Amino acid sequence: MTNCLLCQSSLRHTTSFDEMMSLAPAQARQLCEECAADFFRLDSVATCVKCGRRLKAEMSNPCYDCERWQQQISFDFQNRALYEYNSAMKDYMKRYKFLGDYRLRFIFAKEVKKAVTWQKRLLVPIPVNAGTMATRGFNQVTGLLKGCSLVEALKTSQTVKDKRQSEKGRADRLRLIQPFELVEPQIERISGKDVTIIDDVYTTGTTIRHAASLLYQAGATSVIGITLAR
Amino acid sequence: MINHISDLYGRQISSAELSAAILELPEVKRRPAIQLKPSLMCSRCGSRLKRSQANLPNGQYYCYVCIQMKRMDTLHDLAFVDEPNQFTKVSDALSWEGQLTPLQAECAEQVVRIFKKRQHHLLWAVTGAGKTEMLFKGIEWAVRYGKRICIASPRVDVCIELFPRIQAAFAKTSIVLLHGKSEQPYKYSQITICTTHQLLRFYHAFDVLIIDEVDVFPFSGNPMLHFGVNNAIKTAGSMLYLTATPDKHLLTQARKGRPSISYLPIRYHGHLLPEPTIIKIKGLSQGIDNNRLDKRVLKMIRQLMSQQQRFLLFVPHIKDLAAVATAIKDAGIIAKYDTVFAADPERLEKVSAMRHHELDFIITTTILERGVTFPGIDVLVLKADNDIFSAAALIQIAGRVGRSSDRPTGRVLFYAEARAANIRSCQRQIRKMNRKAAEI
Ligand SMILES: [Zn+2]
Ligand SMILES: [Zn+2]
Ligand SMILES: [Zn+2]
Repeated sequence: MTNCLLCQSSLRHTTSFDEMMSLAPAQARQLCEECAADFFRLDSVATCVKCGRRLKAEMSNPCYDCERWQQQISFDFQNRALYEYNSAMKDYMKRYKFLGDYRLRFIFAKEVKKAVTWQKRLLVPIPVNAGTMATRGFNQVTGLLKGCSLVEALKTSQTVKDKRQSEKGRADRLRLIQPFELVEPQIERISGKDVTIIDDVYTTGTTIRHAASLLYQAGATSVIGITLAR
Repeated sequence: MINHISDLYGRQISSAELSAAILELPEVKRRPAIQLKPSLMCSRCGSRLKRSQANLPNGQYYCYVCIQMKRMDTLHDLAFVDEPNQFTKVSDALSWEGQLTPLQAECAEQVVRIFKKRQHHLLWAVTGAGKTEMLFKGIEWAVRYGKRICIASPRVDVCIELFPRIQAAFAKTSIVLLHGKSEQPYKYSQITICTTHQLLRFYHAFDVLIIDEVDVFPFSGNPMLHFGVNNAIKTAGSMLYLTATPDKHLLTQARKGRPSISYLPIRYHGHLLPEPTIIKIKGLSQGIDNNRLDKRVLKMIRQLMSQQQRFLLFVPHIKDLAAVATAIKDAGIIAKYDTVFAADPERLEKVSAMRHHELDFIITTTILERGVTFPGIDVLVLKADNDIFSAAALIQIAGRVGRSSDRPTGRVLFYAEARAANIRSCQRQIRKMNRKAAEI
């Protein structure tokens, strides 16, 4: 007997032929119907072409935040998100990342894999810093990328933590600080390639754009982002 | 983050939660949080783990069973410090001035003896026997000898209701309340009141461990919580189980002699338990599914409202709550009422509103079957023949009624399609207790 990974209620096995043939979300097999219904997929609604957020009626496309980004950065960048960052997703992240329940990666792993592999691109995950790795024991992004071949071309730069502390509360200055470094032996693999950066959540878009700019520096032809949530 | 050594007295906490300075202290001992051999097992909750589920990258493992209490993993040790019993011995700790009935007093003396002899004991007392008051003497004795005491319950509502009563009775003693929703920070205290889940963070701490409502979910049939209890108590500690409806497991153990067992069949005010009245209604369940209630139920609700009689209306499932509320509204009944269930984010507020007479009645799942007392209420149970209502649950529900000496009786109405086995068993057990009570 299997149980819902989020609420532990037992899952009835009702996988019908129709369900198998349809594009039913892969998470359906890890979650009970109630828990699965709490997540909101972004593939059937209008979203911002630049960041992937769900567009409300009054919003322009690209959204206001992305227009501001276009004035600030010199390269092209688009992000696609699979799910809205709603309260269910917030709770999921809390349990997966902060409590460290690594099993919860199974809920979205298949869907993320499908989303990142349908085009032939080089896959670069956002790294976690050494401190997080030592206590959490896993990178929440690579956890979602089981069975994908990854190029771990980025690492967090050593000095970032101290800088962040002293710059606290000054959002614009923060945007200038590059939190990542390129991993030397991987650089040559980037040159001339189409690259997809993968992250768990797109919040302000700062992190993923820092990563994108480094990858362009390393000679990537194009860089896009895919995140589980926005 | 733990910064003070006293926060570790008698506790077991992942080294991830300890500051570097604390970790270096010689009194802080460590053991592996996860045992790898002979099979993968969590040291805190005792769960055997599946490697395929418990694995982390780089050959590390974690426990996915007790993770809501912060993670146990092979990246960190489980740190613990011996319980030093750093309490001032106070001989007149009990500030309660109430009176016990002769029977209660006898029971209270027995509790003291149990603690003195470090026994494991089951006190089987009917609902409304006044078991909290019967603990006071025993706790007073434990405080006098500098013992560390814990009262744990599987139900958070029970803990929340217990805390102010224990605080009032032991005004000079340090007391801490711990549960998943509490904002009160942990503090080393002589008396701990907590949910049974919180016991997982204690190690050989308590000289006296009292478990209230021991037969209830999630404690009953949960090996993790039983493992936690056995770790939280000192090796030579005394354990007192309290319940009105012990489960088979505990009774089987009691038959073998540990825990020992005693019985209190009479309520503190000396009146008998109210016996349920069964009202058979055909198609009751189907009606509720269609947001309809039988006219006999509606008539009773109207009657109760006109008499200003407050009550609890029990239903088996969460989905029944809205259906019954709709049916009552559609019938044109004007009253102040609300619905509540275990995971209701406003649960504590709603229970408090009922307690403060801001509601006439509350439609509830079994979550309010015990632990909470609303003096002078009646109870109605819809679909009492449903499996969700065990015989024990029905006994507890019936036991909500007639709790005050002002109104020692009241209505207990079970609406059902059939007099099913659970109902019959409930009736049998209530009659048996009443017979025993009458013998005294
Ligand atoms: Zn679920
Ligand atoms: Zn946008
Ligand atoms: Zn565990």
